[in-house]
Amino acid sequence: MARHLDLGIAGENVAQKALEDRGYKVVDRNVRLRSGELDMVAFDGDELVVVEVRTRSVGKMAPPETTVGPSKLRKLVRTGRWYVLNKGWEGPWRIDVVAVTVEGDKNPEVEIFRDVTMGLIEQ
Amino acid sequence: MSAFGVTLQGIEARKVEVEVEITGGLFSISVVGLPDASVREARERVRAALRSVGMSVRGRVAINLAPADLPKEGALLDLPMAVGIARAMGEIPPVGEAICMGELALDGRIRRVRGVVPAAILAKKAGLPLFVPEANAREVSLVSGVTAYAVSSLGSLFAHLRGERALNPVEGGYVGDAKIEVEPDLADIKGQAQAKRALEIAAAGGHNLILVGSPGSGKTMLAKSLRGLLPPLSDEEVMETLLVRSTVGLPPEESRTRPFRMVHHTATTVSICGGGATLKPGEVSLAHRGVLFLDELTEFRRDLLEALRQPLEDGNIVVSRASGSVTYPARVLLVAACNPCQCGYYGDPEIPCRCPSGALERYQRKLSGPIIDRIDLHVAVPRLTPEELVQFERDNSRTSASVREQVTKARDLQLDRWRAFGFTNNAEIPEKILKKHLGVKKESRNFLREAAGRLRLSGRGLSRVLRVARTIADLDGDERVEPCHLSEALAYREGANMPWTV
Repeated sequence: MARHLDLGIAGENVAQKALEDRGYKVVDRNVRLRSGELDMVAFDGDELVVVEVRTRSVGKMAPPETTVGPSKLRKLVRTGRWYVLNKGWEGPWRIDVVAVTVEGDKNPEVEIFRDVTMGLIEQ
Repeated sequence: MSAFGVTLQGIEARKVEVEVEITGGLFSISVVGLPDASVREARERVRAALRSVGMSVRGRVAINLAPADLPKEGALLDLPMAVGIARAMGEIPPVGEAICMGELALDGRIRRVRGVVPAAILAKKAGLPLFVPEANAREVSLVSGVTAYAVSSLGSLFAHLRGERALNPVEGGYVGDAKIEVEPDLADIKGQAQAKRALEIAAAGGHNLILVGSPGSGKTMLAKSLRGLLPPLSDEEVMETLLVRSTVGLPPEESRTRPFRMVHHTATTVSICGGGATLKPGEVSLAHRGVLFLDELTEFRRDLLEALRQPLEDGNIVVSRASGSVTYPARVLLVAACNPCQCGYYGDPEIPCRCPSGALERYQRKLSGPIIDRIDLHVAVPRLTPEELVQFERDNSRTSASVREQVTKARDLQLDRWRAFGFTNNAEIPEKILKKHLGVKKESRNFLREAAGRLRLSGRGLSRVLRVARTIADLDGDERVEPCHLSEALAYREGANMPWTV
């Protein structure tokens, strides 16, 4: 497997651990749907959370969270909507972004951005 | 489950029901029911303010503002929207109905809004408690018979609604000082005995007044002194003026001194008459029950002066736009000042007029007949004589306070006479009623007929002369209008005939 894909899987593992430390219950990973893929799906209490994980090794120009732009967000909303529809979930849901920065052998840095759409993207 | 807010229609507040429904889905807030941009933007403020008190809104939030056909404007709907969402989330108990208003800050503070007084009157009529921003507490305290609470933040409102920490209702306020201290005092103005007398009559009967004089003769100073001659506002009048001030977001006055609005001649028709997208009241309504002063009358745009004709006659102004039509009160005493001609010295005994031929006529033609006809007192304000100029002693025989006493007596007489008809002073009274209360003797009629012919009086012109005569008689405490009162009133009318001189 190519190196950047390994990094991605490693990052997702780190992200899952970080989320579970905070009480999230991860229920799905790498869900492939017609309109795209969801890295992770979890429950935060009674709210369903679609998680997008972004992993970067240190030294890149931009921090990982800035790589989620408006078009990526719209795509996440679209895919997320498919997911909740397929699963028949009728409660509230949101989208979180988890940014993982890896630096050599050091512990990776994890940051969680809650509810990134903030009601600004129309359903 | 719902909360109530208000939206303004002129000086009236209309009740708005805020319905909130929260369903599952990705977080979003949508507002329907003809919100304007500031109401739609409330979404961000409401969400942040709710978060500041530890409530995170989830799912799809649909907010409906009823009645659906009434346009809603202003950030004052932030608060009922936040209360509605908190109720729908089950964070606060579904307590009884209440009207709330306030703009939310991102940190949950509640900012001052306009329209608290109309809302208080609505709440009083509907028998509902009212929650207003703390910054508006004084305004609401002046409206009696309403249970109002002043709230500083969303947190303290919720604590009150949950019954954790009850707020105290706003106590009935003090309507303001009846003491009137206005600069300049009449005693400080040199000379100009005739103009001072005209000011007294204008104040007593509410008559419109124009001061014509050369530059530096003291027209503006005289006009400003008028405010100190007027009696304090009555309780009812305080409410009327408060209502207009609250509608434009001005804080209440500290005293009962009558409004005095000085308008610059570059003003637009909308700023004076009212209007704009939100149909706000203009200067003529802010001057309600007080004085509207137009300095340099001839410099005003003509269409603006023509627009003032209807409010001067009717005492109210109807502002109509595509977005609706509202009526504002506009019972004002109009005071105008101007020069007799372009150079300012036409008619001066010593300084020759430098205007080229035709300029005088062109200058005075700027004022239309209908406007001049609506002004009862035409007063020439001549340059002071050298003797008057070096008169440094105060003339204590006629101070503003002593003249105000006379004026108040005359106003009380008028109030007793006209109360049954629903009017307060001679200037407002319709001719039909006025005629029965003049007591003009037979011999005075001939005199009047002669004068009417000489001055080429119009029907309105004559009835205005009679009103002024009635006021002069009231100042004298006379039941009947005597020939001397008529002749003085006619003298003030004489100036209406062009060209003016100093």
